[in-house]
Amino acid sequence: MIVIKNLKFNYKLQAQYSAPIEHHNFSVMFLPASNNRQEITSLNIDIKGCDKYNLTTDNFGNGKCYGKIAEPHDFFDICICGTAKTGIDIYEEYTSDPMQYSLLKCHTKLTYPYEKLTEYHKSLELDKLSGPYDKALHIMHTIYYTFKYLPGATSIHETAEEALALGEGVCQDYAHIMVSLLRMEGIAARYVVGMIPGDGASHAWAEALCNGYWYGFDPTNNKLVNDEYIRVSCGRDSSDCAVIRGTFRGIVAQKQSEAVTVEEII
Amino acid sequence: MDGLIRNSETINKLLSRYGVKFGIYKNGVFKEQLFPFDPVPRIIKYDEFLYLEKGLTQRVNALNMFLSDVYGSKQIIKDGVIPEEFVYSASGFLPPCDGVMPSKNIYSHISGIDLVQSKDDNWYILEDNLRVPSGASYSMIARELQRRSTPETFRQNSVIDNRNYADLLKEVMDNVNTGGINVILSPGRYNAAYFEHSYLAEKTGAVLTTGNDIVCENDNLYYIDYNGKKQRIGAVYRRISDEYLDPMTFNEESVIGIPHIFEAYKKGNVALINAPGNGVADDKGIYYFVPKMIKYYLGEDSILKNAPTYLPYYEDDMKYVLDKFDSLVIKDVAEAGGYGVVFGSSLTKEKKADFIELLKKEPRRFIAQEVIDFYDLDILGDDGSLVPRKAGLRAFVLTGRSTKVWPSGLTRFSRNPDSFIVNSSQGGGFKDIWVLSR
Amino acid sequence: MGIITLEKSNNLFWLGRYIERVYTTLKYYIKGTDRMLDSDPGYYSVFCNKIGITNIYGSREVFAKTYPFDETDPNSIISNLNRAYDNAIILRDYIGTETMAYIQLAVDDIETAQRGDAPLADLMLAIDHILAFWGCVNDMIDDIQTRNIIKLGKGVERVDLYLSLDKPLSEIKREYNRMKQFLEKSRMRYDESIINTFDAMINSSDFNYTNARNLMRNLTIE
Repeated sequence: MIVIKNLKFNYKLQAQYSAPIEHHNFSVMFLPASNNRQEITSLNIDIKGCDKYNLTTDNFGNGKCYGKIAEPHDFFDICICGTAKTGIDIYEEYTSDPMQYSLLKCHTKLTYPYEKLTEYHKSLELDKLSGPYDKALHIMHTIYYTFKYLPGATSIHETAEEALALGEGVCQDYAHIMVSLLRMEGIAARYVVGMIPGDGASHAWAEALCNGYWYGFDPTNNKLVNDEYIRVSCGRDSSDCAVIRGTFRGIVAQKQSEAVTVEEII
Repeated sequence: MDGLIRNSETINKLLSRYGVKFGIYKNGVFKEQLFPFDPVPRIIKYDEFLYLEKGLTQRVNALNMFLSDVYGSKQIIKDGVIPEEFVYSASGFLPPCDGVMPSKNIYSHISGIDLVQSKDDNWYILEDNLRVPSGASYSMIARELQRRSTPETFRQNSVIDNRNYADLLKEVMDNVNTGGINVILSPGRYNAAYFEHSYLAEKTGAVLTTGNDIVCENDNLYYIDYNGKKQRIGAVYRRISDEYLDPMTFNEESVIGIPHIFEAYKKGNVALINAPGNGVADDKGIYYFVPKMIKYYLGEDSILKNAPTYLPYYEDDMKYVLDKFDSLVIKDVAEAGGYGVVFGSSLTKEKKADFIELLKKEPRRFIAQEVIDFYDLDILGDDGSLVPRKAGLRAFVLTGRSTKVWPSGLTRFSRNPDSFIVNSSQGGGFKDIWVLSR
Repeated sequence: MGIITLEKSNNLFWLGRYIERVYTTLKYYIKGTDRMLDSDPGYYSVFCNKIGITNIYGSREVFAKTYPFDETDPNSIISNLNRAYDNAIILRDYIGTETMAYIQLAVDDIETAQRGDAPLADLMLAIDHILAFWGCVNDMIDDIQTRNIIKLGKGVERVDLYLSLDKPLSEIKREYNRMKQFLEKSRMRYDESIINTFDAMINSSDFNYTNARNLMRNLTIE
C-alpha cells in the first residue's frame, strides 16, 4: 500500500569558533532533491553572513552550495528548510544501465571487509537466497538484531570492520556494515544521509541496486525506506556525504551542533 | 664526445651557477642538492627516434581516449576489455571527475613515459606518468650549457635541438586555455622540483604562483596583483597532485590547493594541466591493459611493448608468479618513485613467505614483471674512466592540437652499479639525450 | 611580466634589501679587517654596535672567521645572502635565470673564500658578482615595475645602513633622494607623513643620525 505524506523539514547546523576566522571558504552538502519516491516541493537555504553562494551537483547527484566569507566572523550558521512529498513510490530511482553504478560495487577504506566482516558475511548464508532484494532484506534484519545501538560507542572515523568488532554503534555504523555486506555479495550499494521524524539529528541508511531499482534499507530501525524518510545525499561511504567542508585563516577551536526537525503537514 | 668529457668540470660549474638543483628531505630537513649530471649523452639515432615517436604517440593517444571513456561512457568496461574493479578500485580513479569533460577533451597534456632498452636492443615501457611528470627542464638547461661549454661537438654532430620544449609546452597551455593568462601552480619553494617549476615559468612566460595570490569567484579563477587588480586565468599547469588541488573536493586538509578550483574546472572556466583523475590510467594495475586499450580504441597493435607483466589477480598469472617468484620483480600498485618494488630473489626465506601470504590476500594490489636485462649506458666514473650503469629513459609526450614527442627526454641512471632504481629521489643522476637528425 | 602580486612585490623589495645589506656589509668587513690588523683591533665590536647586531664574537679572530661565513649565525653575511637567494628563487620568472645566477655565484665566492688562503680577495669576487647582478637587473629585466621595486628595497636598506654607519650627511642625502625616486616610481604604498618629517629633518641644521634612523625604520612600505 502506498501512502503519500507531506513533510516539513528544518536542518540547522551551527559552528562556533573560539576566535574570529577570515577567508572562509565553505561547501555545504545537505540539499535534498526529488526522485521517484520523494518530491521536494520547496527548499530554502539560509547561510548567515553570506548573501552570495553558488550551487553545483557532484558525481553522485548530490547538490552542494558553496562560497566564501572573507570578513572576520566567529560563527557559521546554516539553515536549510523546506517541504517534501514522500512515499510517491517505493524505490528511489530506476536505471536501465546498472553498469554505470559499478563504482558502488567496490569497497572503500571505510567498508573494506577483513576478518570480522568476512566471517559475518559467511554466517548470513546469503547464497541460499535468490535475488539482491531478498539478500538486502535479510542483511538488514540480521544487522538490526545482532548490532546494538549505542551513541558514543564509535567516532565518525570508525570503519565497518571496526564497528562490527565492537558490536555497537550508531546509524552510520549500521549503514556502513550493510553497505559492506551488500558489496561482498557483488551488489552495488550506497551510503545515504537523510532525515526522519523524531530523530533530532540527521540519519543514515543504505541503498541497494536491485535489478535496476535503487531501494533504501534502514538497518538501524529495521525498516524499508518509506514515506517517513527524506533522502538528502549519497556516496560510497560517509566520507562522500560530509555535510560541511571549510578552509579558513585563523587558529581556533571549533564547536559544531546540528538540529533536525521533520514533521508531517496535516 | 671527448670534448664533453674534458669539459665535464666546466659543465658542472655552469649547472651549479644556474642553480640546477632538486630538493630532498633528509631527516626532516629540506636540502637542495645539485642533480648529478653525466656528460656522456645517450644517443638515439633518427630512425630509432621515429620508431619511438610513433609508438609513444600511439600509446598516449590511446591513454587519452581511455581517460575520456572511463570518465565518460565507460564503453571499455562494458565491453569487458578491462575488469571494472581494476578501474574503480584504482586509487587514481577519482569519482568527482566522473562525467566531467576537460577543455578540448584532453586529459593527459604532458605525459612522461618511462622506457628501458634491454640488452637485445628492444625498448620496453616501464610505466606511464600522466599526473605531474617532471624532469624536462633538466635536459633543457643541460643542453643549453653543453652547447656553451663545447660548441665544437655540436657543430660536428647533427643533434636535434631540444630547447623547443618551452614552445611545445606553451602551445599545450594555449590550446586548452579558456581565456586568460597561463599560470604554473607550484606547491612552493620547498618542493623537490621547484627549480623546474620556476624555470618552465620563465621559459614559457607563464606566471609562477603558489596559489596564495589566486582566488576563485563565481566559478572563475583570478590572479590578483599588488594593487588588488584581478586578471582572469585560463589555464593552470599545476604541479601539485590531485589530492591537494582543492580542499573543497579532495583532501580537506590541503593548504596548498585553491578552494573551489574544481568547480571552475567542472564548468569549463579554466583548464587544468594535467586533468585531475589521470591516476587511473597510469596505475600499475591498469598498465597491463594498455596494449589492449590500443587495440580497442585504435584497432592497432601496440608498437612499443610492455615489460612482460603478470596480474596475480588472474589465477593463471598467480600460479606463474608463485612458480617463478625468484626471477620476478613485484610492484605494489599504490606506490611510486621506486618505492614498493621488490625483487623476488632479494628476499630472505621468512620475508618471502610473508610476502607471498600478502600477495595471496590482496592479489589486486600487486603486479609482477620479468626482470629486464637493461642495456647499460656508460657514465664517467670518479677516476675519469667510463663505467656501465643501469639507465632509464623518460620520454615527454605533449598533447596540444596534436600529440608530439619531444625529441629529447631525460635519462636517469643509477649511480650504484648494482641498483636498478634510477629515481632522482634515490640518488640517481641524469644525462642529456641526443636525438640525431640523420 | 605585467602582473606583480602583493606577495611577489614583497619578495622583490626584500631581494633588493638583502643584496644591498650583503654588499655594504661586505665592503665594511673588508675595510674593517684592514683596520683591525694594527690600528684598531677592537673595531669589530664598534661595527656590531653600529649596525645593531649582537656581538657574539668575543675576539677579532672569531669575528673575522665567522661574520662573513657562518650560516648558523643569523646576522652573518652569508645568512643575509641566503635570504636574498631565497627571495630570488621564487622570482625566477620575474628576474630570470641569468640574473639569479649572479647571486648563486656570490654564494659560491663566499664559500670559496672560507676555504681558501686569501679570503679577502675571494670576497672581492662576491662584490663583483653583486655588481654584475645589478647590471643584469638593469639590462635584462624588461619590466620597469619589477626593477623599481628591487631598487626601492636597495635604497631603503642603503639609507638605513648609511645612517647606522654614520656616513657623511652629503652621502645620506644623495642615497635618500635616490630612494625617494623609486618610492614614487614603484607605486608601492607608504606612509607619506614619515617622508615629510624626514625631508624637514634632513634639511635642518641639527640633523641627528639616531633620530633619523629610528624614523626611517617606521616607514612601512607595501
